[in-house]
Amino acid sequence: MTFATRTWDRMSLTSRLVAILVPLALILAVGSVVGILVILPATMDFLRANLPLVRFAVAVVGILVLTIPTAFVLIYLELKIIARMNLRVGPNRIGPWGAAMSLIHGFKVLSKEDFTPTGADLPVFTLAPVVTFLASVMTLLVIPFAPGLFGQDLNIGLLYFFAMGGLSVLGLLMAGWASFNKYSLLGGLRAAAQIVSYEIPLTLSVVGVVILAGTMSMNRLVLAQSGSALDWFAFKQPLAVLIFFIAATAEANRTPFDMTEADSEIVAGFATEYSGMRFGFFFFAEYVNVFIVSALLATLFFGGWTAPFNWPWPYNLNWLDASGIGVLWIPIAIIATVVVADVVAVAVRLVGGRSWSAPSAFGLGFLAAGVGIAAVVGLACFIAFDWVQGIFWFMTKTYVFVFTFVWMRGTLPRVRVDQLMGFAWKWLLPASLLNLFVTATAVVLLNQ
Amino acid sequence: MPTRQRATQPDGATQPDGATQPAHAARTSQAARASQAATAKAQRQRPPEQYRSDDDPRIMLDREVGADLFEPIPPYPVRTEREAEFYTRGDGEMFLNVGPHHPATHGVLRLVLKLSGEQVVDVDPVLGYLHRGVEKICENSDYYHVIDQVDPLEYVSSLFQEWAAVLAFEQLMDVEVPPRAEYIRVLTSELLRVSSHTLFMGFLALDLGGLAPILYSFIERDEIVEMLAALTGARMLFNYFRIGGVNGDLNHEFLSRLGDWMSRAAKQTEANTGLLNENEIFVRRARGVGILDREMALRFGVTGGNLRASGVPFDVRRAHPYSVYPQLDFNVPTRLEGDSLARYLIRMDEVRESIRIIDQCLHNMPDGPVMAKLPRLLRPRPGRAWGAVEGPRGMLGVYAISDGSDQPFRFRIHDPSFLNLAVVPYLLPGNLLADTMAIVSSLDPVLGGIDK
Repeated sequence: MTFATRTWDRMSLTSRLVAILVPLALILAVGSVVGILVILPATMDFLRANLPLVRFAVAVVGILVLTIPTAFVLIYLELKIIARMNLRVGPNRIGPWGAAMSLIHGFKVLSKEDFTPTGADLPVFTLAPVVTFLASVMTLLVIPFAPGLFGQDLNIGLLYFFAMGGLSVLGLLMAGWASFNKYSLLGGLRAAAQIVSYEIPLTLSVVGVVILAGTMSMNRLVLAQSGSALDWFAFKQPLAVLIFFIAATAEANRTPFDMTEADSEIVAGFATEYSGMRFGFFFFAEYVNVFIVSALLATLFFGGWTAPFNWPWPYNLNWLDASGIGVLWIPIAIIATVVVADVVAVAVRLVGGRSWSAPSAFGLGFLAAGVGIAAVVGLACFIAFDWVQGIFWFMTKTYVFVFTFVWMRGTLPRVRVDQLMGFAWKWLLPASLLNLFVTATAVVLLNQ
Repeated sequence: MPTRQRATQPDGATQPDGATQPAHAARTSQAARASQAATAKAQRQRPPEQYRSDDDPRIMLDREVGADLFEPIPPYPVRTEREAEFYTRGDGEMFLNVGPHHPATHGVLRLVLKLSGEQVVDVDPVLGYLHRGVEKICENSDYYHVIDQVDPLEYVSSLFQEWAAVLAFEQLMDVEVPPRAEYIRVLTSELLRVSSHTLFMGFLALDLGGLAPILYSFIERDEIVEMLAALTGARMLFNYFRIGGVNGDLNHEFLSRLGDWMSRAAKQTEANTGLLNENEIFVRRARGVGILDREMALRFGVTGGNLRASGVPFDVRRAHPYSVYPQLDFNVPTRLEGDSLARYLIRMDEVRESIRIIDQCLHNMPDGPVMAKLPRLLRPRPGRAWGAVEGPRGMLGVYAISDGSDQPFRFRIHDPSFLNLAVVPYLLPGNLLADTMAIVSSLDPVLGGIDK
């Protein structure tokens, strides 16, 4: 060892670099040759043989990764929208218009102390956020984002959704019980009572849709509504939409039904004793829940990824490649960027005069060119690919409902526990039963 | 923590560093002393408390004990029959300690609730976390300095305490206050009443879970407070009233800000109250909750909006007129329901009346001095005086006794929040935990005034 260190000390910087890089390059080269020749074909064969499994794994990873930006976007939207409703500015320091605020929130949560109260039931306390988070993330698996873009097309997709959604109450109850805190316990028990009660009208309100479509697969439910906005189930089942919306608000623990974390009554409810990333998981789960509930509302009642009017697209844009230029689009794009940048820069210099320096004029030009080309490419994709359109319509509808949830949070006070339960059992449940009865009768009568 | 102490020092004789032995060590038995000597070295080498690792058996002991982890409730032997009754738990009941640090307690109010499920069975308010001995401080300062001592009592509406103190002192000294000063006092105080009531609306909504109204009411309050800051130089603790007048005439900035505000105050008030009055959830949560009947309110000495919401049209401005209120035209809004919603609506009506009063003050304000001529050192004749004003929370009185020196011999502050809060143990039982906030908040207590 001493020999090696002494030799290393005598070496110059260049020889040190060579001593590091040459073996490294050798290992990489040999490794990649072996990999390409041996491992890759074997892997490809394996993957091809197990395509459904691969699809499932990719979908799970994709969805797990997707939840984080979704939660970030939702948190930022909520901060900003409620701020505007309260005549405040909201986050405006980090990133453009404060857009990186929730990223910083994430880092903050990660770097905070992970506190465990004395007397807590440690395994349960640790598992509770995991259960809550996974329960909400796993429901994303069956939601069709676009034609062909879904985790799994289960034929009992809707049933799976409600089964997984019902699991989240387990996490809340675990958190409430394990925290060794009376506020947490009250929050957990409220969560149990509330979510179990609202599960029933939530599920019953959807049964009408299932009767109409004759399927529980989410994809087929969407396809059953394709055409125009008039084919949406929202118009055939208006009462169900209302019931579903209210029950889903309670299910996602959102204002005015956020009993489980009523800050003015039970401090933070089940999350009182949680800090750091454990709290972060609860926080993420809440916002992912909002997204999921909105997505489900869009999927079940508002046509999912289908367009709201008769849509002539997708056009076949293969003619772009038909002349054989194919790869030539890349140099064309580069040349177009330079040309547009130059034109914009010259125009800015001519109009703006001395207030624009040459570099900033060219910067603006490149920015404009970039945005323009991105817009053109995006538009082409939108016209050409049905899944891009699907994502567009799906996200538009979903975020309309997300906005509604945020809006309600900024406006409404909280209902009381007994009012909440009374509303579920006295009004929502009979209404959903009535809806079910009328739908079933109508289907039976009209089909005869 | 008692348990940990016991675990660390089995016989309570050795300090953690083992250097000294207290005198009472001699009283321990021979065997105990022997074992003590044997462990003395080990104790010296034991790492200090904060470095204890997780597998330290003493921590396990703490975990196993469980029930002894927390101080017993109450942490002292019960002192009265009432306490003994309260702290005896029935079947399925539990104690919940709300406050002194809780998101919905106004200041540092602590309520020990006895709950059966979510239903409140009994409540024990614990006060005094903000006690500063203001009365005694006032008795040790001369008459001029009392005014800035009473300012932080009810920090939401400080001018009213100043007014009560000044009113009592003026009676002691037979000072004639110039009419312009009286009008300025009415004007500024009514502004502050609007600010206080608007803030009350926001906090009531916040305690019921509504996020928006608090910010709208803070906008109103901020405008009023900035306005008064232009007049007095301070945003919260104004120190503006003086014995015999006020500290300075109305200035241009105050008047221009006031004009701006008055031009849309009434409209803005309607808009703000519309946020809540027309909200079904809010109305359902506030109506019929915490009903305070007339007799109970009178027996407890409840005053202000809380009393008027219970059907007693008692307003100090009308019942025992002071200042220029007899010359002003205003109503005393009264309601019969006595619930949280009535208490809220009364205050909103009072905001409208206050805006009317401010309007009249601006139109009728006479010219003239704002300060009576007074000696530098005030030495009133021996005597006693009672000055009471209608604060935003009720009758705010000061009882001052002079012994002929330059300091009040006795300075007693009658704070309305204290008496209003006294009805809480009678309003809460039978209600749900969520309603405790609706009820306590609708009584509008400010703990600075209660704890004095």
